[in-house]
Amino acid sequence: MDGRTGYDLCEGGTMSSHKERFIPRFSRWGKPFWEGAKRHELMIQECSDCGYKNYPPTLYCPRCLSSNLKWVKASGKGRVHSYTVVYEYPPPGFKTPYIIALIDLEEGVRMLSNIVDCSPEDVKIGMPVEVAFIDVTEDFTLPVFRPLKEER
Amino acid sequence: MQEREKIRGKIAIIGIGEHPTGVFKEKSAAELFYHAAKEAIRDAGISKDEIDAVIIEPCFADRWFNTDLIWSRAVQELGLGGKCKVNVQVHSGGSTSSQALRMALGLILSGQAEIVLVAHAEKLGSLPSEEVVRIFSTAGIYEEWEAPYGLNYNAIGALITNRYMYETGTTIEEIASVIVSLRKWAALNPNALLRREVSIEEVLKSKMVAYPLTSRMCNIVCDGASAYILASAKRAEEAKMPVYLLGMGGVVTHFSLMKADLARFGWRKAGEEAFTQAGVRPSDVDIVELYDAYPVSCLIQLEELGFCEKGKAGKFVYEGHTWPGGDLPMTTDGGALARGHLGAGCGAALIVETARQLMGKAGQRQVKNAKIALTTNVGGQWMDAQVMIFAREVP
Repeated sequence: MDGRTGYDLCEGGTMSSHKERFIPRFSRWGKPFWEGAKRHELMIQECSDCGYKNYPPTLYCPRCLSSNLKWVKASGKGRVHSYTVVYEYPPPGFKTPYIIALIDLEEGVRMLSNIVDCSPEDVKIGMPVEVAFIDVTEDFTLPVFRPLKEER
Repeated sequence: MQEREKIRGKIAIIGIGEHPTGVFKEKSAAELFYHAAKEAIRDAGISKDEIDAVIIEPCFADRWFNTDLIWSRAVQELGLGGKCKVNVQVHSGGSTSSQALRMALGLILSGQAEIVLVAHAEKLGSLPSEEVVRIFSTAGIYEEWEAPYGLNYNAIGALITNRYMYETGTTIEEIASVIVSLRKWAALNPNALLRREVSIEEVLKSKMVAYPLTSRMCNIVCDGASAYILASAKRAEEAKMPVYLLGMGGVVTHFSLMKADLARFGWRKAGEEAFTQAGVRPSDVDIVELYDAYPVSCLIQLEELGFCEKGKAGKFVYEGHTWPGGDLPMTTDGGALARGHLGAGCGAALIVETARQLMGKAGQRQVKNAKIALTTNVGGQWMDAQVMIFAREVP
């Protein structure tokens, strides 16, 4: 960019070179989420003072401003609240088509994610999904969701 | 003091200016900005030396010009230094213009200013498309919690549309009819980019961008500029055609869609506040200048602001009530989807169009006998809901 143009308030993470995934900078309070993802565990915050279940992670509890936020493992199950399939004009590096969805987790928080192992025609609002993990690099694993398999 | 006495009739728009919306590679952001600002000053019939405050809206596409403005380039080059005591930028994305109006209201009501210039220019239409893609997949999007999943604004509009359709039973044909309505208005607006009318079939057959939104249901970013002059009610008495602010309501609710009610947002509360202050009801409103960016936005607002029952706005637009000649003209300049998207300035363009209609200067698209108009702004992932009610006379 030549400096004359460009809205550069948003310079941030980088693209991973081999798997076409954006790797963000981690917040200090978000690190346990990403460490959990590396262990293939979906972690969310819970306020030790008021019990509020919290995602996305924050420094203070958005309900009572407590600093006593602990991390709990989520079941990884939820339902599709809404979805879209991106076909055109994706952010740099993303290969179309891909599914973006808002997932209502069993714990009562809503998470933005991708749905994988699912054709664009098969995704539906209300559909049950479960977490899956993409190991993008050695240091970065991204939680995504896939259609819930039959009860085992 | 009663709610309605706080704001009603205390300030007025006395002049408007606009540069057409489109792609003007040969013109700089400064040229567009000065064109609109000068037109507004001339239209208001004031001397430029009377301006007490200049409120600048951000230019996304030209960072250099943007910072020039913050450090008072317009005051110097337009010679506004007569008694100007404030030059400041206000920025809240798409809702910038309503917040600029709110700041001007505060300056005027507190006696800090009598005349305020609000101005904006954008050059997004001249940027390379990959740069536009980058801006609209980063600005107002969580780097850590959303960007890794490839979120952008078309996807945000699509997630909202899909959920709204699921909750209300609205059909995709009804969603597409908003584009038909906006294009009909843009066809009558010489300053609009997309002046060709389209059919529902054409909208639905265009390239799929982010399901269920096709390309005709997504906005196009443009170059353009708009400006307006606000004055105290006392100073407005000298103006030819003042357009009074009757009421203003707003809520800021969230940053991410993860925390939003996708079929409603904060419109109900914002609308109630504005209507209470204005002392009018939805049935008194002659025109709605609703912030679109995506078609579902207009439908949610029509319902939540009390113009239609929940789930009925799609049918209302489909049947033509919002078209030229309809009983509730909506977004009469064509909005971001037909006039063209101007970044933070979309709202400024709507405020200018509101004043133009109420001043009776809207040419071919003039709504006959328009007395009261409701105008909205919203920013980011529909993070807020801002409602303004204007009138030709204070009732």
